[in-house]
Order: sequence, then C-alpha cells, then structure tokens
Amino acid sequence: MIDATIDADVLVVGGGGGGLRAAIEAHAAGARVLVLSKGIVGKSGLTQTAVTGFQVAFGCADPRDNPSVHYADTMRGSYGLANPELVDIFTREGAATVEDIESFGARFDRDDDGNFIQRRLDSSQTYPRSIKKGDSLGTPIMQALRRQMNKCDIPRRHEILVTKLLKDGNRISGAVALDFQTGELLEIRARSVIMATGGGGELFPVNSNTPDSTGDGCALALGAGADLVDMEFILMLGHAVMFPETVRGVLFTFQYLLDKGARALFNAEGEPFLSRYDPEGSDNPPRHIYARAIHGEVRAGRGSPHGGVFFDPGSVPLETVVDALPSQTQFLQSFGVDMRQPIEVGVAAHYFCGGIRIGPDSLSTVPGLYGVGECSGGPHGAARVGGNSLTEVLVFGKRAGRHAAETAATANAPTNDPDEVETECRRLLGFLEGSRNGPRPSEIKKRIKQTMNDHVGVVRDAAGLKEALDAFEEIAMRNLPAMALASPERIANYDWIQAIEATSMTRVGEAVARAALMRTESRGAHYREDHPDQIDDEWLQNIVVRQRGKELSVSSVPVNSATYGEETG
Amino acid sequence: METFRLRLHRFDPKHDSAPRYEEYEIESDGPLSVMQAICRVYDTVDGTLSLRNTDCRRGVCGICSMMIDGRRRLACTCVAQDGMTIGPPPNRKVIKDLVFEMD
Ligand SMILES: Cc1cc2nc3c(=O)[nH]c(=O)nc-3n(C[C@H](O)[C@H](O)[C@H](O)COP(=O)(O)OP(=O)(O)OC[C@H]3O[C@@H](n4cnc5c(N)ncnc54)[C@H](O)[C@@H]3O)c2cc1C
Ligand code: FES
Repeated sequence: MIDATIDADVLVVGGGGGGLRAAIEAHAAGARVLVLSKGIVGKSGLTQTAVTGFQVAFGCADPRDNPSVHYADTMRGSYGLANPELVDIFTREGAATVEDIESFGARFDRDDDGNFIQRRLDSSQTYPRSIKKGDSLGTPIMQALRRQMNKCDIPRRHEILVTKLLKDGNRISGAVALDFQTGELLEIRARSVIMATGGGGELFPVNSNTPDSTGDGCALALGAGADLVDMEFILMLGHAVMFPETVRGVLFTFQYLLDKGARALFNAEGEPFLSRYDPEGSDNPPRHIYARAIHGEVRAGRGSPHGGVFFDPGSVPLETVVDALPSQTQFLQSFGVDMRQPIEVGVAAHYFCGGIRIGPDSLSTVPGLYGVGECSGGPHGAARVGGNSLTEVLVFGKRAGRHAAETAATANAPTNDPDEVETECRRLLGFLEGSRNGPRPSEIKKRIKQTMNDHVGVVRDAAGLKEALDAFEEIAMRNLPAMALASPERIANYDWIQAIEATSMTRVGEAVARAALMRTESRGAHYREDHPDQIDDEWLQNIVVRQRGKELSVSSVPVNSATYGEETG
Repeated sequence: METFRLRLHRFDPKHDSAPRYEEYEIESDGPLSVMQAICRVYDTVDGTLSLRNTDCRRGVCGICSMMIDGRRRLACTCVAQDGMTIGPPPNRKVIKDLVFEMD
C-alpha cells in the first residue's frame, strides 16, 4: 500500500520557523535531514505571520535589562508553571539566536548607533525588550531561514501531511505520510524525528492562526506514547479584528498606539473597562486579561455589533498608525477598514501554551522524538509572555537539531513495524471508501470548533467541560467513522486532508478539555468560573496528558519532574 | 445577501483532455476575499474542487498568487467581485483545478 519509502537520519515534521531552524542545525551537525511539511516548506505555518514580539534581553533600551530579568519576567508571566530549566536556556541563548538569524541574512532594526531598537509589549516586561523589524518579524526571519536552507541544499518535500509516528520497540523509527499533490502514501525511516508542527488555533471558530494549525503534532505524539503538558492553557487574545468578515481574527496590535494618544478599549456604552478586570488595574494588561475582559463585556450585553468591543485611534494621526504598524494597516485597509474610525476588536484563539513535554534538548519522553516550537510544552507554563515564542522556537529548534543529529549518529538503523504501517495505510485509504454517508470533514471541524468555543474557551466550568468531553466522544464514535468525502480521488483532495485533521483535532480537543477539567482553579490562560481563585498550595503543578491504548489519562506532576528520552509508565 | 458568480479553473489530468472554466454561485452577507470565495464554493457548492488551504491568508506567503480577471494577484488580499474569472498563473503545470506547481 506504501507508494514510496524514504530514509533519513533526522526527519523534521513542519516547515515553519522551528522546523527550518532544526533542519539547518541538524544538517550542520552532519545528519542526512528530510523536511516534510503540510504546507509549502518555509512558506507555511505561523512563524511567517509573527508580528511585533521577539524578546531578547540585550539591554539596549535599558541597561538594567539582562537574561536574569527576562527569566524572572517569564517565570512570573507563566504563573509559576514554566519549566525553569527551559526558561533559563531560552532567555540566555536568545542573543546567540539573533546572531544566527542575522548571519543567515536578516537584519533587525537598529538606532543610529547600531543598537537594537527594543520596545515593551505590555506590563509583563520589566524593561522594553522586544527587538523589531518594521511591524512584521516573521517575514524576515523566515526569509533568512529559507535562504540558509537553500544554501545548504537541505532535502525537503512540500505538502506532505505526516499522519502517524512509528516506533521500533520503545524508540521512534519513522512515520507514515500522505502526499497531498499525488495522493501517494509514504513511509519514512528515521533515527530521530523532530515535531515542529505549530499550533492548534484552528480548533476555534475565530482564531489568528493559519488553516494548517490543527494541532497535529500533539495528536501524533500522543499516539506515539509521549507526554503532553499544560494543554489546558490556550492563549486567547483580545487584539483581533472582528469586522468585516474578510479580516475576522486578523491580529491588530493596537497596544503600540496607546502611548501615542489612542483611547483605551471601550464598550458599547463608551466606558473603558480593562482596568476592572486586571488585578493590577492596568489599562494595558497581559493579553489573556484582555480576552477575559472583552468576553465579560460581550456577555454582559455591552459588546459591539459583531461580538467585540471598540478600539478608537482617537487623536493619533493616520501617518503615525501607518508608521507604527505598516503591514497590518495596509492589509486592513485593502478590505476597506477605515483606520481613523473606531474598529471592532475582540477575542481570537491565538496560542497553545502547552504541547509535547520537552526537556533541555527538546527531547520528548519518547526516545528519538523531539518537540520544537508551538507544538511543544514546558517553556511557557500557564501563559506565554508576548514575544517569547520566536525566541523559544529558534533556541529549541537549534538545540533539537543538534541533539537529534548527534543521537542519530549513534542510533541503530530503525525498523518500522510493517503491521503498524499497514494499519495506518488502511485507515488513510478507508477515508476514500464510498460506503460512508455522514457529514463532510468540514462539517465535523465546525462541530469541534463550536464545542471548543462554547465550553473550552475563555471561560470554563465543570459542567461545560463535561459536555465538551461527551461531544468529543460522540464525534469520535459516530461522526468520524461516518465522515464522507466529496470525492474519492487521491490527487490534491483537500477533503482527505481535512478528514485526517478532523481526527487529530478531536483528540487534541479532548486532551485540552480533560486537563481543563482536572485543574480546579484559575491560573494564567485558564479561567474556571466555578473555581475562580488561583490556589498555589494545591496547583503549582503541571498536568500531563498521556495516551495508553485508545484512552487518554491525565495526572498532575510537580514542575520539571520528567525524565526525557525515557517513556513514562 | 449578495450573490457572487465566479468562474473557476477546472482540470483533472486523469479524466480531462483540456482545462475548462466552470461558473459557480455563492452567497455572502458581506465582502469576501477571492480566497474566501473559492473556499466557499468548495465548502457549499462543489467539494470536488481542488484548492490549497495551508497558506497565510494575509498577504505574506505569496502562495495564493493566481490569475484573477487576467491579472496576477494575491487571492487572499483581493476583494471578490461578481463575475470574476480565477485560474492558475500562466505556464504552470496544473496538478488539479486550482492546485498548480509552485516555482
Ligand atoms: C498572527 C500571529 C502573530 C504572532 N506574532 C508573534 C510575535 O510577534 N512574537 C512571538 O514571539 N510569537 C508570535 N506568534 C506566535 C509564533 O509566531 C508561533 O507560535 C511560532 O512561530 C510557531 O512556530 P513553529 O515553528 O512552532 O510552527 P509554525 O511556524 O506554525 O510551523 C508549523 C509547520 O508545520 C506544518 N505542519 C503542521 N502539521 C503537520 C503535519 N501533520 N505534517 C507535516 N507538517 C505539518 C505546517 O504546515 C507548518 O509548516 C504569533 C502568532 C500568530 C498566529
Ligand atoms: S495566502 Fe499567503 S499571500 Fe495569500
């Protein structure tokens, strides 16, 4: 049933920032690398859309800043749940990572004296720390990584969906994948596998993510027996444009206009409200507080016509708006948004703080399996501080690449289990069989998104989370097996991709709901209306999700207590 | 409700000897990008339409660059108009419908 078999020392799954950084490093360490990506390698995923945050404590804006302050800010911002070892690593190695990216051809904005321009994103940063490149960091970073990939001539294949990880006993041995363009099934034999599949924002109806962000990496890692951690923490933002529909969910980082004379957000009654929701009383609080505040106003009937609130540029001249946020402004204007008028902004799902539980070398709890970037968990705990993702993606990408190459050099040639391969091929081809008469995959995705939105979103409680778990069980038992594709063709069949994604999304949704139900407190990005207080005596603990057989289990563990590269019980 | 008619490029190398343009009708209560309009055809009218949907949707990646009414434009930043004709860029090998080889 397999159409082609490919060998690699290091298989990198994902063509975004983490995947490319890992591939470049593994190649430099002498490994035979293969990059597979659901989208176009180097032109898919979230990294390219990153906007204004890249935290590295150079201390250019304020000499008192240094990696220790960055570390302290990050630990506080994670509500005590980030893995301290990981935070220590990425706050210290951030500077070297900027140097790497510049050596690959990017150049970040500097002042006349050649010092980095560093800005503050919100009150979580003690000193202005985020370096910048106009208002879009993702584009220059991805350009630099693509250039370096091309220079090294690293083998890559576009539009390949990895659908299953394979194991040889305890160790990772490869993967099965589907080629979107040809419809062929591929078997990959690899000594190390690096997952860099990005986030899961597509589990929510309004999100800031790209459509390929369906949480695949978490579902695949669960299937391979790896631990996931902090899955209950999903960052919802209050910085998304709500109207017109063409740009719903698109980020607009208006925080940068607040000190230039723009009004703080206000509700339908014209009243500013953010400070009412922030325990510190700030008018520009950390991001998840924005989301909760807007959600609260909308629920109380004080929202804007399209389910948000209002941002008013006020007295800020248009030139200043364009100057501060050039590409965002241009994109919004192309759909007729008048940047001089109040704009409806609201909540969008933005970032999965948790994911594959990793250690200092980005290794998961399964030998040979790595997690990098947004699909990993540990660096951010209960809420990711703005601008820390790019730092962490690039630092751990590099670490994973190097370690995976070193491990691959000593690992035996892996053997995939032919039964496992065949079962997976049957599952994939099964989607194309004509006997199914249920809804199309996009319908099932809609149901998953609605469930997440209604019960696993900004505000949660036990009853809602149980309802969500019931819904996911029903989707898994009844909807997915009946799912019917519009076409049985193998070539460029997007329904087929979506069917596989819907299956993964159901698993990931269940993992999030289980962890959220277990955490009977509120902390960071997780808010339980039935348990509104943060309870440090009980809950300075991470929640780990595991799959054994077909069942998911959750348990709470002390922060940083895993052994990486050794599968846990 | 606004009605949009779009002419979309269809070609299945396995079954068709030549490409053709087919007209579809969709409805929307507000403006749509060309990309959103194509997705709506696929979602609500004809799911056998092949399209790419892994890209950035905000004018960053360039993957959605197509011929839109005879001009090369980004489908995600171009506002859909009634009667538009949408197909692959010239001289690209078509894999199926609106999925073509990248340069
Ligand atoms: C609009 C926006 C703005 C942001 N701005 C900032 C910012 O300013 N600062 C900051 O620090 N962070 C920011 N973030 C967050 C940050 O950009 C992301 O978390 C980070 O870039 C993720 O990088 P990654 O390499 O983990 O994944 P991605 O860059 O998302 O790459 C994932 C890759 O995996 C591929 N893939 C997925 N599933 C599969 C599969 N099954 N098989 C094969 N391939 C697969 C995808 O196609 C893609 O190529 C922003 C996020 C968004 C959405
Ligand atoms: S989808 Fe990326 S530019 Fe249009």
